[in-house]
Amino acid sequence: MLVVKDLHASVFGTPILKGLNLTVNAGEVHAIMGPNGAGKSTLSNVVAGRDGYEITSGSIEYFGKDLTELETEERACEGIFLAFQYPVEIPGVSNMAMLKAAVNSIRKYNGEDEMSAGDFLKLIREKAALVEMKQEFLKRSVNEGFSGGEKKRNEILQMAMLEPKLALLDETDSGLDIDALKIVSQGVNALRSPDRAMVVVTHYQRLLDHIVPDFVHVLADGKIVKSGDKSLALELEEKGYGWIEGLQEAS
Amino acid sequence: MIAADQNQSWLDAHASTHFANISWLNELRNNALAAFEQQGLPTVRDEEWRYTNLRSLKSHSYHLSMASPLSMELPATDNPRLVFVDGYLDAEHSSALELDGVNFVAGHLEQSDSSLAQYHSTTLPSSQHGFTALNTAYAQDGYVIELANNQVIENVIEVVFVSQNEGAVNHTRNFIIAGANTKCSVVERHIGKAGSVYLANNVTEIIAGDNAHIDHYKIQQESEEAFHIGGVFIQQQRSSLVKNHNIALSGLVTRNDIYTTLQGEGAHMEMNGLVFGTGRQHIDNHTQVDHAVPNCTSDEYYKTVLDDNSRSVFRGRIIVAQDAQQTNADQQNNNLLLSPNAEADTKPQLEIYADDVKCSHGATVGQLDEGSLFYLKSRGINNDSARALLTFAFANEVIDRVNIESIKDELTQLVAGELLSGLEELV
Repeated sequence: MLVVKDLHASVFGTPILKGLNLTVNAGEVHAIMGPNGAGKSTLSNVVAGRDGYEITSGSIEYFGKDLTELETEERACEGIFLAFQYPVEIPGVSNMAMLKAAVNSIRKYNGEDEMSAGDFLKLIREKAALVEMKQEFLKRSVNEGFSGGEKKRNEILQMAMLEPKLALLDETDSGLDIDALKIVSQGVNALRSPDRAMVVVTHYQRLLDHIVPDFVHVLADGKIVKSGDKSLALELEEKGYGWIEGLQEAS
Repeated sequence: MIAADQNQSWLDAHASTHFANISWLNELRNNALAAFEQQGLPTVRDEEWRYTNLRSLKSHSYHLSMASPLSMELPATDNPRLVFVDGYLDAEHSSALELDGVNFVAGHLEQSDSSLAQYHSTTLPSSQHGFTALNTAYAQDGYVIELANNQVIENVIEVVFVSQNEGAVNHTRNFIIAGANTKCSVVERHIGKAGSVYLANNVTEIIAGDNAHIDHYKIQQESEEAFHIGGVFIQQQRSSLVKNHNIALSGLVTRNDIYTTLQGEGAHMEMNGLVFGTGRQHIDNHTQVDHAVPNCTSDEYYKTVLDDNSRSVFRGRIIVAQDAQQTNADQQNNNLLLSPNAEADTKPQLEIYADDVKCSHGATVGQLDEGSLFYLKSRGINNDSARALLTFAFANEVIDRVNIESIKDELTQLVAGELLSGLEELV
């Protein structure tokens, strides 16, 4: 599904990714761990197509197509979803309005008819229940005045509504207390499916107790320095990121 | 013909026009002409017109409009309404004339038994510009809504001013005279024949008696080549509550002067403004809130959205007289530029002579937030829709203050198109 080859990318002129390789297939859940400044969020933003994130060399292929040719909204319409580390507050635009625009924009892109108001309402109620979000949150402005946990639940609600093929979860666990972490993880797990891939970017192992990955990659200084299964996360937790520095020197 | 750039030409046209012989009105007209003779039409040398160049308006010649049959389609409405075509009442299309409890006077200025003598021109500020003087001198028709004490009008009254005559100058003079404990909502719509050049010069005087509640809307959708000069002059007595909604959507050059004087304690003024500029439009709003007595409040909220090469001017003046203690006045003007070629000039002007008051103001000029745009696009929303949603979010704080659902929907539709339609049923 996603093939990243020798990716070098800069953020406003500063090189961050320095030769990253990653292959993600349908149905897989990949965890990317690493210390602050390793480039974890940069990877998510580059794949989502954020302005200011410039690819200087290497390639990103998505279902065999060059992803870098597509605009941000086209990537979303093609099934890429980014759950933000810091979801943006948009006063004056209700959650409902944004999701209705998003759902219909994606349907239009894929040559489908707009969803009727009734079907939309049914769908959003069903998905809101998945992340235990109250109806009143749907009417409120996007993320405005939401707590950290509510914002992250809202990200998962959006993901559930848009049913992406590839979901990037950028530090979704940051700022969550244990109850919110459980709700968010349940939401994510409910969305695991054989034709959907997920890339979970996190600083801490604890999220991976709830969202169990198929693969774990350690990112340091702009490239993946070690890959393994879920036991790698535990090893990392035990040995700390200092261990990574040793690995880097070795590589 | 009136050559707009020659002040004498306006005077000559007046001299050759037949007006009814009503002594109090003649006096007002003559005074107005004398004032006009002194000052003429404004130029950019006048401080109050510094940012609004009238060269394009003055480059045309005009003729005084005549009553003519309606040839345009009127906007749909369920409300009782009055229709003025090229400055004169069109009784055939006006359904509000028989509304219970409202004393309408049509062709009022030319009727000698009119009760207007005691109100006409009483709300005008001491210094007025040439267009207001011309309006006083020339206007022969307009609406008068007179509410006796305790009269409450539940219906929204709509007044449509239609300009359909190329090259015409239409002067209309309107009055809302509300007695004590009255209530009414009046919507003025100003529309014109697409593509035609004309000058609409409209003045509305509002006299709000003790505890009168008046909602006044002005929705300006003139032809994209037309000139609109508007004045709304308000006087407020004790505990009156007046809301003015000034919505400018079209017209080549628009200038509004909206003034209120809070003359009775406990009075409240709410001024809401919404401007959408596109193409080469120029929209200039001059507002003034005069806190003349203690314990009054005012709340002013103007939002401007400018695209293409459009330009806006906002001057918000708040005067707090020396003994107007316990005044609470707030003013906000936010400008959103959607294009690098758009320009907004904003000028808050606070003159506070009392020492125990609360006055705040804020003015911003900015663009759409890149972070918000990226967020929306990352959800699959295309660029145009994302911008429309964020523009709506910006404007909505003013749209939300509109108390008439049908107008709220109309404005929502205008900004966000179909993006938000059907959502009301969902929530």
